[in-house]
Amino acid sequence: MDYLLPLDLAKLLGPAGAMAVVVLLGIGFGFVLERAGFGDSRRLAAQFYLHNMTVFKVMFTAIITAMALVFLLSGLQILDFGRIFVNPTFMWPGVLGGLIFGVGFIIGGY
Amino acid sequence: MPRGKKEDTPMADANPRPLPREKRFWDPYLAGLALGIVLFAAFALTGHGLGASGGLAHIVTETQGELAPEHVALNPELARGVTGEGGILDNWLVWMVAGVIIGGLLSGLLAGRFKLDTYRGPRITPQTRWALALIGGALCGIGAKLARGCTSGQALSGGAVLSAGSFAFMLAVFGGGYLLAYLLRRWWN
Repeated sequence: MDYLLPLDLAKLLGPAGAMAVVVLLGIGFGFVLERAGFGDSRRLAAQFYLHNMTVFKVMFTAIITAMALVFLLSGLQILDFGRIFVNPTFMWPGVLGGLIFGVGFIIGGY
Repeated sequence: MPRGKKEDTPMADANPRPLPREKRFWDPYLAGLALGIVLFAAFALTGHGLGASGGLAHIVTETQGELAPEHVALNPELARGVTGEGGILDNWLVWMVAGVIIGGLLSGLLAGRFKLDTYRGPRITPQTRWALALIGGALCGIGAKLARGCTSGQALSGGAVLSAGSFAFMLAVFGGGYLLAYLLRRWWN
């Protein structure tokens, strides 16, 4: 069974073409983050002072949307989930790193 | 925008500079939907999610490799980062960061938000904010290195493909953030 996705960009477009697609994805990422108001550190910090829940809303809507699309298309055997990178779990380094990251986020965003 | 929309006080009173007018920003749920589609596109086109800290880490590691190769050789984690022959330009995360900067700039320019400014909390000077930003950024760097990713590469991308570790990271980020914010709330409010 041949899956359509994920594409093998390096084979289809060559290494430079693959990087160009990554730049485009980055542009989309940066554009949406700015449009959501994430260019303003006060808005990011406000999440943690419960003034403004934009971060939660954007982040979890994004996770659920992408999750639904990924698992729908892999269920339909269009997307090969075996070739999708899933972050390996290193529980305690992840939790410790997360705590430090959260603290840094508050200090840096103040 | 009609006044009295149900949610989210804009905090304008507490801030020396009010937040940019909300109407220029996308609705958070629509922005989330758009971000989810971009994230899915990344998985569908490249097999990877989105990332931010990895690209920056790679640039720093490669620079260290140029400036202090002996030090890098002694540190397996750093040495692992400089094995590529083409340097930073071979790393897709670096290109993604370049794209993020272009995309953010484009969005800001089109919305008329592009200007030099130091956003800060209600009670601190720009100098303090810059110093804190540097310290906080360094902590985020350490946290992201330990956790193998930041809110983009670990929480957002890993969360979307149901990585258990990504959800643990996410909870820890909010846990650490809320804990400190709770302790600091008097300074902010």
